[in-house]
Amino acid sequence: MNVVARHLVLLAGLLVSFALLFVGAGAVIPLAEWDLVDIASEGGTALLAALWCMIVLCSRPDGRVTRLLAGGLACIMLGSWADCLDEAFDIDKSALWDNALEALLPFGMLVLTAGMHYWRHEQANLSEHMRKRERLFRSHRPFDRITQLADAAYLRAQLQRESRNDQPCALVLFDIDHFHRINREYGHAEGDRALQAVAHMLLLNLRNDDLLCRYAGDRFAVLMPGLTQPQGEAAARHLCQMVGAMRHHAGSGRVALTLRHGCADAHGAPDALLADLCRQMDAV
Amino acid sequence: MIAWQAAGEASIPARLQPALALEYGRAHDLPDAALLRDTGLTGSLAADEMISVSQYLQLLANTLRGLDSPDTSFMLGQLMLPGHDGAASHALVQAPNLRVLLETLCRFHARLTPLLRPRFETWDGVALLYWVDACGAPGLRPALVEMHMTALVALCRWLGGERLPWRFCFNRGAPRHIEQHQVHLGADVRFGCQLDAMLVDADWLDRPWPRASEMAARLALQAAEAEPARAPGLPAALYDYLLAQVRESPTLERTAADFGVSPATFKRQLLRHHTHFQGELDQVRTHVALWLFQVRRADNEEVARYLGFHDAANFRRSFKRWTGLTPGPIRAAIDGELGWLTRLSGAAGA
Repeated sequence: MNVVARHLVLLAGLLVSFALLFVGAGAVIPLAEWDLVDIASEGGTALLAALWCMIVLCSRPDGRVTRLLAGGLACIMLGSWADCLDEAFDIDKSALWDNALEALLPFGMLVLTAGMHYWRHEQANLSEHMRKRERLFRSHRPFDRITQLADAAYLRAQLQRESRNDQPCALVLFDIDHFHRINREYGHAEGDRALQAVAHMLLLNLRNDDLLCRYAGDRFAVLMPGLTQPQGEAAARHLCQMVGAMRHHAGSGRVALTLRHGCADAHGAPDALLADLCRQMDAV
Repeated sequence: MIAWQAAGEASIPARLQPALALEYGRAHDLPDAALLRDTGLTGSLAADEMISVSQYLQLLANTLRGLDSPDTSFMLGQLMLPGHDGAASHALVQAPNLRVLLETLCRFHARLTPLLRPRFETWDGVALLYWVDACGAPGLRPALVEMHMTALVALCRWLGGERLPWRFCFNRGAPRHIEQHQVHLGADVRFGCQLDAMLVDADWLDRPWPRASEMAARLALQAAEAEPARAPGLPAALYDYLLAQVRESPTLERTAADFGVSPATFKRQLLRHHTHFQGELDQVRTHVALWLFQVRRADNEEVARYLGFHDAANFRRSFKRWTGLTPGPIRAAIDGELGWLTRLSGAAGA
């Protein structure tokens, strides 16, 4: 049984056992006295809370935040469900267990709030991590599978933004020297690892405002807002040094990873700018 | 009689090109169910199993669709050459220079590149390699061209130890993923041309490569020639035939007879390869006309005479029908600084 089905069975089991509990403990109120609006709203709340709980469980990896959010929603579901069943079954008002079950609703809200609090912390950490990769703007576009960086289409969109802007901005492209040899000699899995290593090294050495993209293949692009072309050139040389000083191991030996770069002022039509810079890279 | 291979017949050893595509898909977490859908293959390819071109094409289409990433065709291309086809692959690796490499590739294309047939031409200091459909896969053509061009570029770079200054023409509009072309092929790419071709200065053809050994190269070629030849796909065989016969005004009946089948069977076979006789003939005549414009600086009158047209006006009309352009702008483009075959209407250049 997969995870989704297991969660679904668990929630359904809880709802059914609550219903059975009420059937066993109380007498059915005649149909004529049922308040249909109450039943619909409380039952609906329970079902929606169940749905939210499922969404949280299916879309997040397990962990403290996930458990708090899902647990809170499950409590809200059960509390509302108890409320709803209360409308249909006559339970002795002095029965403590019934009151306790209805108190699950506010308790669930507290748990959910705690979950939200930790979620906010988590999100702040993630945003910090993603900052140099997405810059100012989040879209639900998948990142490059290997390096988790944005792709060329995203870079072009950012260049478009920059071209309307007056502040200086530099664009640098990096190629890995002899990358094709790593692929031939060690295989594509090692090539992918080299790409990841270079991406990490570049990320560590960028300013918070910079944007790193994987342009295509072994070519990376860095957009450096606020830097003029000579400043960008200096920053690029530093990045090349940092990557050159890195030790990368493939198979049993050490592989030297060095970069070459090309730099341009980032104002102008993105396609022409990138085509020119690529031509410059071919000539290096 | 002309040897050819129908796309439906088992002709490719499964452990060669198909195994590479399968392995690449698996390495990128595509499940076998998605990779092998509609191919009629099971997950474990037997060592001596032969599969058909159609099955291989389906496998490629599944891989491209499943991964849905613009670099898939380029990455598959990097894995493709020299390949593992015994003597033919060995002859490629042993090529002492670019000229021998390209000749070897064209000589053994049915083994090395069964999906696209490379053709190598050279004149006045320019070397041209263009790719002709060999399997009848119009839908996959852009991806196949990317794959085969990348394969050749990567092989030359590996054997020659440096990046050759190739220029590229594509018979398609500019794609969204032009960055892949720029990085895997080179910055000099042009779209909207009449051919899928790659050009390089002829100076590069005879430069010896670092590991070159004339002797090893000759032995490797002899070994490859000694192996039984594999027949090319029907579109490739037909292209070669029509190119040789283009001045004799080839007809469907004559061609079918030379291919050893009845005209009805021939038509049906072409249909199975998603093409038809007239289309193939028009393509060959377009290429020959372009060749004459480019190399002989021929005018409409000469080309019309060469191709057996009644007069220049007739040829001009036909040319317009084949390419969507009259010969004038094409000739102007060839004479102008743009150089080769660039189509002036629409998006020219990167």
